[in-house]
Formats: sequence, structure tokens, C-alpha cells
Amino acid sequence: MEFGWSDDARALRRDIQRFLDSSLPDWWGTPGTGLGSIRHSEYSKEFAPKLAARGWLTPHWPREYGGADGEPWQHFILGEELWLRGEPRGPQYMNVNWIGPAIIAFGTESQRNQYLPRIAGGDVLWCQGFSEPEAGTDLASLRTRADRDGDDYVINGQKVWTSYANVADYCFLLARTGSTEDRHRGISVFLVPMDAPGVEVREIDAILEGHAFHELFFTDVRVPESARLGEENAGWDIVRHALAYERVGIPRYCRAAMQLDQLAEWARENGRLTDPAVQEQMAGGRALCEAARLLVYRVVDERAKNTHVSSNVHVARAAMVLAERAVGDLGLAVMGGYAVASPIDSQYVDSVAAGLAAGTYEVQLNLIARTVLELERR
Amino acid sequence: MDFEPTTEQRGVLDALTTLLARHAGTARARTGAGQGYDADLDRALREAGFLSLFGAEGAGPLEAELVVEQVARHLGSVTIGANALVGPALGIEADRGPIALVANPAVPIRYGAEAEIALVVQGDEAWYYTLQPDVVTVVESPYGVPLARLAPRDGHSLGPGSSGRMLAWWRVAIAAEAVGLMSGAFALTLTHVRGRKQNDRTIGSYQAVQHRLAECEVLLDGSRWLARQAAWLGAPEEESAAAAALAVATALRLNREVHQVTGAIGLTREYDLHLWTQRLRLVTLELSGLLGQRRALAQARWVHQDV
Ligand SMILES: Cc1cc2nc3c(=O)[nH]c(=O)nc-3n(C[C@H](O)[C@H](O)[C@H](O)COP(=O)(O)OP(=O)(O)OC[C@H]3O[C@@H](n4cnc5c(N)ncnc54)[C@H](O)[C@@H]3O)c2cc1C
Repeated sequence: MEFGWSDDARALRRDIQRFLDSSLPDWWGTPGTGLGSIRHSEYSKEFAPKLAARGWLTPHWPREYGGADGEPWQHFILGEELWLRGEPRGPQYMNVNWIGPAIIAFGTESQRNQYLPRIAGGDVLWCQGFSEPEAGTDLASLRTRADRDGDDYVINGQKVWTSYANVADYCFLLARTGSTEDRHRGISVFLVPMDAPGVEVREIDAILEGHAFHELFFTDVRVPESARLGEENAGWDIVRHALAYERVGIPRYCRAAMQLDQLAEWARENGRLTDPAVQEQMAGGRALCEAARLLVYRVVDERAKNTHVSSNVHVARAAMVLAERAVGDLGLAVMGGYAVASPIDSQYVDSVAAGLAAGTYEVQLNLIARTVLELERR
Repeated sequence: MDFEPTTEQRGVLDALTTLLARHAGTARARTGAGQGYDADLDRALREAGFLSLFGAEGAGPLEAELVVEQVARHLGSVTIGANALVGPALGIEADRGPIALVANPAVPIRYGAEAEIALVVQGDEAWYYTLQPDVVTVVESPYGVPLARLAPRDGHSLGPGSSGRMLAWWRVAIAAEAVGLMSGAFALTLTHVRGRKQNDRTIGSYQAVQHRLAECEVLLDGSRWLARQAAWLGAPEEESAAAAALAVATALRLNREVHQVTGAIGLTREYDLHLWTQRLRLVTLELSGLLGQRRALAQARWVHQDV
């Protein structure tokens, strides 16, 4: 047990920071250009190849698929530094965190050859087609169907809340290949090109800054059998694998902690930093951010040691949500009217979203209760 | 970064568990030895070297912190945080006897009457006092731990800046003791909700109960790692305060939740839960309580240094 960073890790952090200082464009960080905006997503296709050229896009992947067999720590340090600067990888953080790894783990050799080089090269965007109008938390009740027709599958149905669908080249899609009664045993994963005839994307107006939600309609979309990832009806394991990575894929605590530091700056400039009530609130948030950081690191440590993904991932995810919420709440409480249209106000909305995306907060608590606390499921 | 105990750390903890099985635990906490100062446990810990890990070769403050967690969890009735962490950090040898920590002479101190030494925060300096019986006023204690006020005389300063070091390690000790006590209370509570049935189902199967306990688990786990990290880093002002701030906030929450889901039996002295929660409340009150810990963190992070 120890809590230090190796010299390599420290050097990596410094190098990335320097690289970011010199490479982000002038418009970076201006209103309306954040993660989820079209400009941001398109820029990621310029930015990610530069990361790739430095070996910083997929360092944790196996060498044969464009990685460097690196430790998960490298990838994580990169994630922290990039997230702090507004995540210039754009939607591609999903590619490298869980979409690529799922293809590595479950794909055929030809699928790996087809999809991984572009992901590792940094010029392809994916979206995640899981949720449906009637299948949110209860994902296993999804209805979008993929029916066999000769050597093909024909897909019909609707997805919703799909982030980045407006810019994506591919969709990592869940569809039912068995019956509805089969629940999670009747689901398969498909890798669907977004320009396939019959795919339609509609934007959903939302209060999330930049981050556009979409609806995704599939009408007689024909894909070859080779678009199916893994065995037929065996998609659920892939989903579980993917979600375990996704849940701690975004180091949300570090941005919340940064927002707090910026709030402290504001409080200092406005003579509020010595107010004991302000200090008390801010320290409460800071302690939660730090706790979330360590709990996420514990998961990375498990991954680095190749121990199986344990239920600690749910603890880490829940801790991140608590930290983000605390910072959002206290930020509004401390700033009052000055929070209008400020980053703190966005932090608040983001913290609401954090409790829903990638499995809701309640789902994490359910899983902790069952797997960590060993309480009975009703 | 490594969250797994090393073989050596496992060895220390295994040996400690064996020792505590003989010299601590719920039954003993109810006896004379456990309700006063447990001199036998103190001696056993000292002789086995558990109080000298802080500066020992092959060990250090993290190992000492792990010991504090475990002794608190097993309800050891000794000044474990003060003797395993704070004293050694101020250069006080392990064989000097039980240490009482004082920041405000107006408030009752754990083991005030039994301690042989008091370390007192006085402005920028920590002061060292050898305690005489006539400086002690015993205060009645419902906490399962004896309390007294101290008005120590004839001490000496441990040098300029020593109070900062004392306060930082005291915060780590508070966090470690709180984590240990919470772990004990929480484990008993889980056993209880897994077994007790109402309306033909275990109360632990109700989602309202599960969610409360799951949140406690997240906060307790976070507190645990913050305390360990602070010790490993050598108790920097900020990290120590963060550890104490989270542990104390969590303790207040967890204390409430474990009693709530245990029901009325949890309020009786016959049932064990109070052995942990009563002690836990005392720990949360030290150093001006939660506000004190949080203000210390805010000062360290945003006031004492530039953002
Ligand atoms: C910012 C953001 C981005 C997203 N991006 C994508 C994306 O790219 N692709 C995608 O497929 N989906 C995406 N989602 C959707 C997300 O996965 C769903 O919102 C989530 O699974 C919850 O489903 P729901 O919104 O239908 O809520 P519901 O499932 O209807 O839940 C509503 C509330 O009821 C609670 N609840 C439900 N069941 C239980 C239970 N058993 N016990 C206790 N409480 C329960 C939930 O916790 C929640 O609080 C995104 C969501 C957000 C907020």
C-alpha cells in the first residue's frame, strides 16, 4: 500500500500539460464550444491523431492493436489531464475507454482489423445506442430488433438520449435478436455505420450545455452478419464489460475539484473566502472530490493488476456523483446571483446528468448493496 | 499507487488481530479494564512494538495508522491515536505512557485522568506536560471512555511550528479512529439487517435501507483511503484536514443511519452497537468538530497557499 506517483507518471503529466498548453486552439473554452458541440467533436478528429502520434491515445491497448501495452495508469493520467482541459478527445474518449477494448475482447480478427486502426488513429467517432424510450434503467427490456434475413440482419427500432449521434461514424448498438421474454439473454451487439440507409438522427433540445441528446431511428437497416460483435444473443456480457469501463471512464472528480479552486478564486476576489460559512461548504466539497479520486484510483489499481473488475467500480462511480453534486450545490449556494450562466451553474447541471448517465446513482447503490454489503435482493 | 497491503503490512495486521482477540473486543469493552484505561492492552501493544511503528525501519506512519484503525475497530481502551501517531510525530518515545491531546482546556479529554503526558496546542507551539493528579478534574462519562478536564502546569515547548505538526497528526488520528469505530459499528449493523425480518422479509432487503447503507459504505470507504493517504504522505496540512473532514462528516451520518436501521434495540446498553457509536461521537467532537475540520481544510487549500 502506497500513494505516491512514479517519476514516469509525474513526467507524463508534465509532458501532457505542456503539450496541451501549446496545442489547443484559440477558440478553446469559449461558450458553446464544449464537449458535445459539433465544433468540439470535429476538432477531436484533428486533436486525437496528434495524441496518437505521441503514443497517448491508446497507450493501454495491446501493441498488436495500436497500443503500447502500457499500464492503465498512463491512460488514466491522460484522462485526468485531458478532462481538466475540457476533454479535447471529444466523443473519442468512449472509443479508447470501452468501445475499442470491447472490440479487442469480443471481436473477430477481421473486426479488429476493420475498426481498431481508425480508433487508434483518432479520426473516427462512435456513439452508444443502448437506451430506448421504454428501456432506461431496465435496459434488458429493450425492443429494437435485429432479424436475420439471409446473410444479413435487418434492424428496426428506436434509441434515445444518444450522445454524439449527430457526428458519429458508427453506432455501438444493442438490439434484440431473441424474444422479449429472453430479456438479457436475447440481446446482441451490432457495429452499425451511421450512414447506412434507414438510420435517422433527430436532435433533442436539452438544458445540458453543448451536450446534445439525440433520438435514433432504425428503419429496415440492413447490416451483414459480420457487423455483429460476439455471439448472437450474447450481447449482455459485452455490455457489462463496457459499462464497467465507462463508469469510471470520465474522471469527473478532477473537474469538480478544479471548479472548486476556481470558485475559491472568485471568493477571494470578492472578499468571501474568509467567510467561515463559505469555507465550511467548500471544504465539504473538496473532501468528497479527494475521496472520489482515491476510490477511482483503487479501481485503476485493480485493473493494473489484472484482477477482475470488482464491485468497487460502483463505489467509485457513486463517490464521483456525490462529489460532483456537492460542488454543484455549494457553488450555487456560495455565488448566489453571480452563478448565473457561470461554469458553476453548468457544473450543477452536469452533476444532475452524472447521477443518470452510465447507470443511475440508484443503480450504483443497488449494486453496492447487493455485491459489497451482501444484502438480499427482493 | 498501490491499494493492496504488502506482505509486511498483512503480517502486522494479522499479529495485531491476534493480540486484539485477547486484549480487546466487545466483551472486554464492558469490563473494568475496557471501561477505564486498559493497561494490559497498552502493555501488550507496547511490548509487541505496535506503538513504535511510526519511526520503525521497514514500517512508518501508514503502518501506525493501520494499527490505529484496527485498535479502534476492536474497541481497545487505550490512547491509540495519540500514542501511535501524534506522540511519535513530535519525537516522544513510545514508552513514556498514555498521552492526552488538548486543544481547548475547557472541554473534557478522553483518558484525561489516566494519561501520564499531555500535549497541548498553544498558539504556534505544542507544549509537553507531565501530568500530576492535582491538574485533573474527572467528568462523568456515558461514552464508555473516561473523561477529564486538564489544567496542566510546568511544561515545556516542543519548539516553534510544533503545533502545526501536532494538529495535522491529530487530524489523521481522528480520521483513523473514526474509520475504525465506524467499521465496527457498520459490520454489526450489516449483520443485523441481514438477519432481522419484518413483514416476512429481511429489513436489509428494503431498498430504503439498502440505499442508506450503500451511501454510508461509499463515504466510509472514502474516509478510510483519505486517512491512509494522509498518513502515508506524512500528514501534510491539507490532506490531514481532508481526511478528518470527511471522516467526521461521515461519522455523523453513519452514526445516525446505523441506529435508525437497527431500531430500538440499538439504543440499549445490552446490545453492542453503542460500544462503537458512543465512542465515535466523542471522536467527532475533537478539534472543534466538523466545522473545525472543514475550516482547517479550507485554510490549508485556499488561504494558506495560493490557488
Ligand atoms: C448526459 C447523458 C448522456 C447519455 N448518453 C447516452 C448515450 O449516449 N447512449 C445511451 O444509450 N444512453 C445515454 N443516456 C441515457 C442513460 O443511460 C439513461 O438516462 C439511464 O440509463 C437512465 O434511464 P432513464 O433516463 O430512462 O431513467 P429511468 O430508468 O426511467 O429512471 C428514472 C429514475 O428512477 C430510478 N429507478 C429506476 N429503476 C430503479 C430501481 N430498480 N431502483 C431504484 N430506482 C430506480 C432511477 O435511478 C432514476 O432516478 C444518457 C443520459 C444522460 C443523462
